[in-house]
Amino acid sequence: MNEVPHLTTLFDRLKRGYHLGPDDEPEFSVLCARFDEYASYFAAIGLVLVRHEREFFYFEPENPETVPETLPRIAVFSYIIIDHAANQGRPMEEFIFGQNFLVAALPHFTLDRYTALLRQVEVHDMQDLKTLLKHMERIGWIKFLGEDEFRFLRPFHRVFSKCLEVAHAAQGGVGGGAESHDPSAADNRSFAAPTVTNA
Amino acid sequence: MKINPQSFFGFCANHAPLLRALAECGGEISEAEAMRLIRANPGVGEELPETAWRRLRELQILVPTEPGSEMLFMADPVARLLMYLFNEANPATPEMIRGYVLSLETIGKRLARALDEEDVQHVKLAFEEISQTLRRIHADLDETQHAILGEVARYKTERARVSVREKYQRIVHWMERYVEPMIEIVRADGPLRAAFDETERLLHRAREEALFNDHPALTRNLRFLRLLASHGLRVFTQCRKEIQPLYESLRRSSFIAEGAARALDKLQTDGLSKWGNEYLISIAVSRFQNVPGDAAIVSALRRVIEHPPEPPPVLEFSIEEEDPGALLRLMWLDSLPDLVRADLPVEDLLNWLVTKQPDRDTSDVLAGFGGLVFHRDFHAAFTEQTPRVYQTRDGEIKASPLTLTST
Repeated sequence: MNEVPHLTTLFDRLKRGYHLGPDDEPEFSVLCARFDEYASYFAAIGLVLVRHEREFFYFEPENPETVPETLPRIAVFSYIIIDHAANQGRPMEEFIFGQNFLVAALPHFTLDRYTALLRQVEVHDMQDLKTLLKHMERIGWIKFLGEDEFRFLRPFHRVFSKCLEVAHAAQGGVGGGAESHDPSAADNRSFAAPTVTNA
Repeated sequence: MKINPQSFFGFCANHAPLLRALAECGGEISEAEAMRLIRANPGVGEELPETAWRRLRELQILVPTEPGSEMLFMADPVARLLMYLFNEANPATPEMIRGYVLSLETIGKRLARALDEEDVQHVKLAFEEISQTLRRIHADLDETQHAILGEVARYKTERARVSVREKYQRIVHWMERYVEPMIEIVRADGPLRAAFDETERLLHRAREEALFNDHPALTRNLRFLRLLASHGLRVFTQCRKEIQPLYESLRRSSFIAEGAARALDKLQTDGLSKWGNEYLISIAVSRFQNVPGDAAIVSALRRVIEHPPEPPPVLEFSIEEEDPGALLRLMWLDSLPDLVRADLPVEDLLNWLVTKQPDRDTSDVLAGFGGLVFHRDFHAAFTEQTPRVYQTRDGEIKASPLTLTST
């Protein structure tokens, strides 16, 4: 096989859990164009390159015995922002991807319930929240636009996929035919393999 | 009690905002609530709230829910009139349209009987009833479409904080309560079209049998029937197209919100230790294998630090008394190629060896023989001569002579 470009950079970022999206040029365009070549290349060394249906890329996680402590933090943070978005009554994707967020204006400490949930994962104040956001930036889920402002990036769709998976499971996994209006079905079809449940 | 139309419309003209507020209130209303609305929406000119309150009841705009009750509601004819004036619409339920279908079927039976009996009077009555029912169906279908489109527009512009879940439930209600059942009724092979077809057949028969002579009215009704059939289907197909994207988007958002809510609820109820990995979003992290742990590194450092000092080993340099036999033998073997090169070509290599090196034992002779045979500078070839015996210091070797030449 011919040498594929940006291999070192790609490998170096993906192996650290980074999700490559449209903000990561020129690597993103090359990955889109030559995905099969990259996938074969990484498959030879036991790594599965996933192309999400929303068009971003990441390495399929393994099943480590221990869960990194950042994962529950990221999960709780993400579920809270979704819960807050739902209360605003706006379509989820429009709310998350259609605006920039100020760290100081995040809803995470506005309700006692949210605060208590965050406390369980050792996120106690704005500084902890910011540290968590920095971690999310390192995996390509958000992008800081200044000291206090950020926006969500396309790979945050992984959280939506997880939510749909949870909702679908709660309903006993019924429905979801090809023509079904159940979006969880559509997402689960393509997410089942990459979105392993234990990080 | 009869109401003077002039007084009624005079009051209405001076109290349009109040009437609108009362209409929007919907349902039952108390005197206190009505007075609050009267004060908030004063009429034209100077008028005491109590006067407006009294007139509302005198003109039967507000009527008691039951005799003697203190609770009131807006009289149905007035509510309908205001709805018409304010261009608002109430959706017809599928049951109402089914009712019209049943009504058409019943009238159809009566018309068929009247035609059989050649009863002109009943044919005329049935025809009028059919016309009336068709006009109601048309009006109700239009009003339903109007209501649905209004609801969709409200969703898109609504600024009030209504949760995604609630919005989704409302849109599902509209979709499942009105749009889908209506399409079932009005579709080409649905009950409405079947009733229309039967009515059309009977109207044709009435014309053919000359039992109904108002041909322009008959033609109008036939045209209206066909128009209504296609109109109904088009109206609700359009409604579905309007509502579907919103429905899909809200459905997806609702599912996402439900998943997040379930995950948070589980964490809140069971705590982090029992939360489980199924709520986490896994991320690839490269890990190094066989890396020494902290304990191993500490232990190694401790062993180095705590190792007792001792003098370095001393090497003894002295001349050995005995000859290093193996080394001498190696040196002898290495010297053989140069020795034999001077005598090339050699007709019998083994003989050359035992003659030139008579002190060497059998092992040394064979080692030297092997080294020369496979040496890259020489070419060895066995002859076809009779084997002979070669004497070494400690034995003898029997072999055919072998020649050695330069390559």
